[in-house]
Amino acid sequence: MLKYRHAFVVGLQSNLVYRWNFAVRSLFSLFHLAFVFIFWGAIYSGRAAIGGFGFAQTLTYFVVLFLLQFFIGAFNEDYLISEDVRNGLINQFLLKPINYFAYRLSVFAAARVVSGALGLVAILVALPFFRGYLTLPHDGWRIALGIPAMGLTALIQFSIAYCFGMLAFWFLEIQGFVILSMAVETVLGGQFFPLDLLPPAVFHAVSYLPFYYQAYFPTAIMTGRIGLDVALPGLAIQAIWAFVMVCLAEAVWRRGLRHHTAAGG
Amino acid sequence: MNAFSRYLRIWLASARYSLVRTMMFRGDLFIWASVELLWISVNVLMIAVVYSHTSTIAGWTEYQMLLLVGTSMLIQRFLMGFFWSGIFEMGRNVRSGAFDFVLAQPGDPLFMASTRKLELDGLLNSVVAAGLVVYSARKLGLHPGPAVLALYACMVACGVVIHYSALVMAMSLSFWITSSQGVEGSYFTLMEFSRLPRQAFKGLASAIFVWALPVVIVSNAPARAVLHGFEPSWAVGLCAATLAWFALAVMMFRGGLRRYTSASS
Repeated sequence: MLKYRHAFVVGLQSNLVYRWNFAVRSLFSLFHLAFVFIFWGAIYSGRAAIGGFGFAQTLTYFVVLFLLQFFIGAFNEDYLISEDVRNGLINQFLLKPINYFAYRLSVFAAARVVSGALGLVAILVALPFFRGYLTLPHDGWRIALGIPAMGLTALIQFSIAYCFGMLAFWFLEIQGFVILSMAVETVLGGQFFPLDLLPPAVFHAVSYLPFYYQAYFPTAIMTGRIGLDVALPGLAIQAIWAFVMVCLAEAVWRRGLRHHTAAGG
Repeated sequence: MNAFSRYLRIWLASARYSLVRTMMFRGDLFIWASVELLWISVNVLMIAVVYSHTSTIAGWTEYQMLLLVGTSMLIQRFLMGFFWSGIFEMGRNVRSGAFDFVLAQPGDPLFMASTRKLELDGLLNSVVAAGLVVYSARKLGLHPGPAVLALYACMVACGVVIHYSALVMAMSLSFWITSSQGVEGSYFTLMEFSRLPRQAFKGLASAIFVWALPVVIVSNAPARAVLHGFEPSWAVGLCAATLAWFALAVMMFRGGLRRYTSASS
């Protein structure tokens, strides 16, 4: 574990070098919150509720989602991993007793600490504008289930990014795949609109997909969009998806290594 | 005129090179075209979902909104097709020092940096976006004449210049910050507002996004031209914003260029 702690610390230091990038991103993300506020404000204009939820609940959903993405979302991990593969940097990990998945997960955690802190600053800056509209439920079970759900979400997001990064073993350019998947993840993860606004049958079907657990699920627990009866079995399904994704990441790594040629001295 | 024809020849040479290169990687073209198509579909899906819960947003009906989003997409696809790759690479090249190659080329650095590559996938999807506009107009029972169509085309061209300027400004930040990685996201965040109708903005939001930043008029002006015909105030506002933002982008780029000290600057 010590070596991964070192990887985490080094990751933290290298991410602090790019703190201005994260700061610019979090600053511009405030515009996204403004977009959400204006867009959903216009939709709710003259209506008390849409899909059974009021404007404050929907706005709270997007604010929490925004913060979660900074703390547990995979930003460019797929790109960084693909660069390691493409440039042969993974060779050094093949010769050392280091698990590449665990190493990358440590660096990912470090990056999220930095981006999460900056996202939090962005939220604090925006809070005076949104405070009157935020409404968070006070049920204790939401925290108790929400925290493990967030951890599993981070694992799913990272594993998916890891798998896409591994595609560099087979393809020269993977950004197309990444953005293709991002479009699907954005919609089915509930980042464009809360998934509960989908027709009930579609919503039910989507709740069995991994994308549902990438953003919507923990956010819906924390913001009161789903009850305990949905959250408990959901957490079990999410744990299964997290396990499947980690296994898939390991399988792709093993298959990828068969294609890999380490050249040079 | 001499300078114009020289730059036209340079651009044609770059375009020819890009097309030949694209044809060498046809699979890549297919993936990226799918990516763009999927993002258009995602936006259309969002409108469909939202309008399944409401009949109007800020007074705009579903097909009026589709026309607005189609126009916004059209402008963005043109930007992607003509300028995106060049400007996107600019950020990385500044960091690595590869921007030296652009400076050594026989032309204005901004022109050379932003017109190096033509992306066929973006241009292909501009047809899809245009199709969305035509479909919406037909659903609304609109039959715009040649004058309105010419006005629409001019306004879309102005929109492309504004988008181009915003992107150049975002990527010019790479002259000041350690890495521009992810900064391009700020452009996308800002341009989200171009998918919203002007009437959705009130108070401070109106002052910022309608008057200070041209992100709303960039798509609303051409969409309104099709819906309501020529409106002088919108046309003048768009022209003024185009000139102002282009001048700002050039100034910022040149300011950054003065800081550039080759590799690792």
